[in-house]
Amino acid sequence: MPGPVDSIIWFLGIALSLVVVVCSLWRKTFRRYFFLNLYMLLSVLVSLVRLRIFAHYGQSSTQYWYFYFYSDALMTIAQYFALISLYIHVFQEMRVEKYLRLGAVLLLGGTALFSYAVVSQSANRMLTDVVFELSQNLYFVGLVLTYVLWGAIFKMRETRALLVQLVLSLGVYFGANAASYAISNLRPDMFSHLRYLIPLIGCFLPFAWAYAFWRVPEEARLEPARLAVIPPAVQR
Amino acid sequence: MSRKLSAVVFLAMLVLVAAMSLKTVVTAHGKNAVMVAEGSAAMPTRPSMPGSSSR
Repeated sequence: MPGPVDSIIWFLGIALSLVVVVCSLWRKTFRRYFFLNLYMLLSVLVSLVRLRIFAHYGQSSTQYWYFYFYSDALMTIAQYFALISLYIHVFQEMRVEKYLRLGAVLLLGGTALFSYAVVSQSANRMLTDVVFELSQNLYFVGLVLTYVLWGAIFKMRETRALLVQLVLSLGVYFGANAASYAISNLRPDMFSHLRYLIPLIGCFLPFAWAYAFWRVPEEARLEPARLAVIPPAVQR
Repeated sequence: MSRKLSAVVFLAMLVLVAAMSLKTVVTAHGKNAVMVAEGSAAMPTRPSMPGSSSR
């Protein structure tokens, strides 16, 4: 079984993911944010199976190693679709849904082809390495897409509070993960210190989304960032 | 191919190039031994596998 701290973080992640789905159902936004909820449900399922494999075979087993990274690829793809669904919500009024879907499929296909091209140069275990590479590359694609969406939200002065909060949380999550990735690469000796940080970052996204679904109603709107300044002469 | 379709293809490729460039920058100083992972599960330790590659 995992150690006490690992277990606490692990179960916290599972519980928070479940809270997201429950809050979404309670707020009657489950269907509207279907892909976000699907991602959270998949996250719960994957975490439970990982826990089972961990308990049965151990942390350094081949079974846990393979399942961890294959399921990671599956979750990254689910997260990618959740992000694309947020794009569709943000650009809803522009009626570009067809183009967004096409772009998303092209980008996913392009990332898969790129990953295959990179791995095919030097791999022994082809499928495993392609899956691993795809997962990592898709993660960085998601990171770029999230910050592009941040930019679009600020530019378009999006006022739907729930949507803004969901996207901002995703941005913070991606940013924190990228930072830990960069630190690990710059200082590989610090990786042992980041042992708890990476699973904790994994808890942040369900926490932020659970908070958003729980506290922010669907119809809530942000106040306009800038108010028109009327000169005194006009006021009189 | 229509202009809108061309724009979609161009933007998708632009995002891909940006993402791969970012990944290259982030991993430039490392040996790519550390990876980003989803979820709150404990990260696995490398098992000893016969004929394993450098990753």
